[in-house]
Amino acid sequence: MTEEKKEGRAEAGGEDDVRILAFLCNWCSYAGADLAGVSRLQYPPNVLDVRVMCTGTISPYFVVKAFQEGMDGVLIAGCHIGDCHYLKGNYMTAKRFQVLREALKFMGLEEGRLRLEWVSAAEGEKYAEVVRSFTEQVKALGPSPLRRKRARAVKGEKGAA
Amino acid sequence: MVDAEELKALIRKKLEEGADAFLCLVDEEGSLVPALVTGADSPDLERIRVGGVRYPLAKILVELLREYPGRRFAVLARGCDERALVELAKLEQVDPDRVELVGLACTEEEARACGCPKPYPTRVDLGERAEPAPEREVIEEAEFLPDPERLRFWEEHFSRCIKCYGCRNVCPMCFCEDCALENPQLVEPGVVPPEFPSFHLIRALDMAGRCVDCGLCDEACPADIPLRSIYRRMQEVMEERFGYRPGEDPERRNPLSELGTEAEIKKIMGSGLEI
Ligand code: SF4
Ligand code: SF4
Ligand code: FES
Repeated sequence: MTEEKKEGRAEAGGEDDVRILAFLCNWCSYAGADLAGVSRLQYPPNVLDVRVMCTGTISPYFVVKAFQEGMDGVLIAGCHIGDCHYLKGNYMTAKRFQVLREALKFMGLEEGRLRLEWVSAAEGEKYAEVVRSFTEQVKALGPSPLRRKRARAVKGEKGAA
Repeated sequence: MVDAEELKALIRKKLEEGADAFLCLVDEEGSLVPALVTGADSPDLERIRVGGVRYPLAKILVELLREYPGRRFAVLARGCDERALVELAKLEQVDPDRVELVGLACTEEEARACGCPKPYPTRVDLGERAEPAPEREVIEEAEFLPDPERLRFWEEHFSRCIKCYGCRNVCPMCFCEDCALENPQLVEPGVVPPEFPSFHLIRALDMAGRCVDCGLCDEACPADIPLRSIYRRMQEVMEERFGYRPGEDPERRNPLSELGTEAEIKKIMGSGLEI
């Protein structure tokens, strides 16, 4: 992704509007999100989603990278335990999440910026509700301190060029 | 103080009993360096020393085992060396059948200076067991701070990083051919100090359930960054959530490197530590 594109997206939402990256698994939560869409359920537009085959494929590095690139919140949504299309992929997600959350917390990033939810293909309403409440939560926290740092660094680079 | 004669006798014994070489430290013009003693009459035996500096002997063994297939090694191992070897065996980097330990207990002074959680191996052949001296001063300092200030606390520390990779290079638990810290998608090349906090966060995440708290990274870092405290905090999390301590039980693998059972997952989720 180029710098301009990222900046452009930030402006589309407004400087103070929060941006959330959502990793959705193909088989449950992406379908759930789709259902929310076709059912015309209202939810905030702050979410940029990334479809993955299974939440088990989400390396903790991806989440670190998302925050490093200035995302204000990261949502991971997948099949309920027992329903993963690959049987146990979400076991890894559940375990990694515990460690990831604590690591971010220990580094000083508010824990409310990361969330894990199980959303099935039939749970369009739940998906809309998750996005609503998570967006509220991230808004209350405001833009990520890492995003503010990054914006300064980018401006600095441009100024120097 | 451990007697070098005692160690010499143990080395000879191991070599006679079938080890092809013994990994230990020898005096090389006034400095202690790792060396391989390959025969009971080796002149190196006269230069054997105990104590003083530490080296990542487990890491050296990983290389030796790879380079000399079929050979058997013995090593003078402290508590941390043993923990590293135990964990490395589970990660299939060390074949425990080809490695024998001669256990060295650290002195009380060493244990305290190191802040060691367990300054002796399971079986002690040399020295006396000292009291563990775990410390969590930096962890408490960090935890005491509210979120945004904690971020600044670490940022200040990490701003000194010169990206020398010393922490990774010395770490007995780092052995990947393709290191995430050198992946340009994750860590921008040519940027010093490396991006905050991703560089250090990636290492912290990879050390969860793996770091054996040897403290060599802290010793190696030229910028005095309290790295070990970060990895130590990760182990506290592993213990709280999964009851796992790296380097202890040879039969139990890091829960992050296997899928596990539904009951286990339900327990993590139902333990009040909601998802
Ligand atoms: S203390 Fe540092 S060097 Fe030792 S195992 Fe842990 S991360 Fe590696
Ligand atoms: S040893 Fe210290 S200075 Fe070198 S890369 Fe690691 S943290 Fe940075
Ligand atoms: S396929 Fe949905 S979490 Fe694995």
